[in-house]
Amino acid sequence: MTGQLILELSPPAPPTFENFVAGANGAAVAAVRAAVRGEGERAIYLWGDAGCGRSHLVAAAARTPGVAAIDDVHRLDAAGQIEAFDAFNRARAAGTAFVAAGDAPPAQLAVRADLRTRLGSGLVFQLRPLDHAAKRAALRAHAASRGMALPDEVLDYLLRRLPRDLGTQLAVLEALDRSSLAEQRALTLPLARAAIEALGPA
Amino acid sequence: MQSLWHACLTRLEKELPPQQFNTWIRPLSADVRGAGTLRLVAPNRFVLQWVKDRFLRRIETLATEQSGTPVRVALALPDVSDLPEPAPPASPQPPPAAPAAAPAAKAPAAERRAGERPSLITEFTFDSFVPGKANQLARAAAMQVAENPGTSYNPLFVYGGVGLGKTHLIHAVGNSVMARQPNARVRYLHAAQYISDVVRAYQQKSFDAFKRYYHSLDILLIDDIQFFTGKDRTQEEFFYAFNALIEAHKQIIITCDTYPRDIVGIDDRLKTRFSWGLTVALEPPEQEMRVAIVLRKAEALGERLDEDVAFFIAKHIRSNVRELEGALKNVLAFARFGGRELTVEVAKEALKDLLSLHNRQISIENIQKTVAEFYKIKVADLHSKKRNRNIARPRQMAMALAKELTEMSLPDIGDAFGNRDHTTVLHACRTIAALRTKNTDLNRDFHVLEQTLKG
Repeated sequence: MTGQLILELSPPAPPTFENFVAGANGAAVAAVRAAVRGEGERAIYLWGDAGCGRSHLVAAAARTPGVAAIDDVHRLDAAGQIEAFDAFNRARAAGTAFVAAGDAPPAQLAVRADLRTRLGSGLVFQLRPLDHAAKRAALRAHAASRGMALPDEVLDYLLRRLPRDLGTQLAVLEALDRSSLAEQRALTLPLARAAIEALGPA
Repeated sequence: MQSLWHACLTRLEKELPPQQFNTWIRPLSADVRGAGTLRLVAPNRFVLQWVKDRFLRRIETLATEQSGTPVRVALALPDVSDLPEPAPPASPQPPPAAPAAAPAAKAPAAERRAGERPSLITEFTFDSFVPGKANQLARAAAMQVAENPGTSYNPLFVYGGVGLGKTHLIHAVGNSVMARQPNARVRYLHAAQYISDVVRAYQQKSFDAFKRYYHSLDILLIDDIQFFTGKDRTQEEFFYAFNALIEAHKQIIITCDTYPRDIVGIDDRLKTRFSWGLTVALEPPEQEMRVAIVLRKAEALGERLDEDVAFFIAKHIRSNVRELEGALKNVLAFARFGGRELTVEVAKEALKDLLSLHNRQISIENIQKTVAEFYKIKVADLHSKKRNRNIARPRQMAMALAKELTEMSLPDIGDAFGNRDHTTVLHACRTIAALRTKNTDLNRDFHVLEQTLKG
């Protein structure tokens, strides 16, 4: 039994509500899910720093037909802002969900006033990024759900070496599981390290 | 650019282990759009991010070497239109075809549809429109028009800032008329929608159907007319529609963000006509009215609200009605989700972002950007493994500031600096603390950065 595990990475699973790890953002997730179901407040605006999960939630909402979902509102150009404004008004008239996200609370967005005030007229949530402990828990839970033995030192290594977003970390975890199973080798730190280093410079 | 990319591929294949090359580089395709820019399309966000973090600089260097002039490499995802399911989140659905777009043969159906569903939002009624000094005249005029459409003030021109209830008020007229005359042809639309109707009529050469539709309405409610600015063709069509409707004693109500004479980029003959009837303003609500709005809105949402909470919200959110209602909804949701009784304290907590705009939490990205700018290095250097003093010291400074100004844990801070270990962060904090006692320049830099970040 020598040689290194070959990892075949598949892209992370498409973003859904089910595979969103809510962490401290339970209220936001509940509100978006309700809006998409056509319940409660239909206009939701999510904001936070990069990596907080806002794109994931917007993409998850966009999977439901008829939902207006707009990411990165702060990057919209003049035409994009009018489109978003129009989408808001149409959702309002139709009673359907409007889910948008950006990097700042509505009042601080440099967009046209009619759009800015509309973004702030529904429910507004600041998304908090997952902290280290929550990421550990998420990776551990994911491993457990696959019946995968994940030693602590491998877990720590993954968290330290991989890009910060959970999607990538989960994808690598799955690839490790697949190839260690296929080759019937226990996942040890040296094995994981060699396989991941083979993927590219850190 | 294609051949340039081929040359780069050959080089990369030689210098990278096969697995890396096959996993990250081979799936990229070069796009010919750029000049001086090599645009590489990654199959998904995942590959894009990985390539950006690990290979981008190398590719840029190679491309520059190969072409002899500086080449910038831009990474992109496939065009939205090329993607299969699921629908990407970027752009909303195109607007449903407006009745005016229907071909001439279908005109009767279109007209019937307009009669059945006049695109009115049913909750926007006079009953739910909270009266006050700020909207007294506008409300009275709108009610008058609803009683006698086409014969009292025509057009009724309502102007005011964002979120003061313009849309609500004109929907209220429409709903009130519909309640009494269910067969009336009432049409509400936003000016942007009228513009796209004109464009569509032009493209489909269906101006006859377009005219027939708009000229046959009993009431035309058109929102945000300032969107017509600079749209000559739209203004011309609207001019004809306006004349036809007014002559036939059909009611027109227009909203705008300014007084008619002050609109920029609108034909004078239209501006003159806008003032033919009555022009009324919606002003920002005064405090008493804001309290009433909060209480009324809470009632409409089926919630009971203490007066002191309503007063607190009304006192702090002064700008307009829309933001006031948004604030209320967020307070209610915050209390409900947390299972807490709605007190002033809870309201204060729920609205902390709105109340202290400048007190925004300092983010790690912001710290890194500020520190990098201060020391004239790149943010990427902070993430990098470089250990020369002119990079390592600013990196330690940024880590120490992150520890001081955020609530992030040491491992989280390490993550944010190129996945470093928490012991590295700890060491940085101790080093900076020690240096600050000995080195006055460094201590001053620390204070300057801290003040900049705190705003």
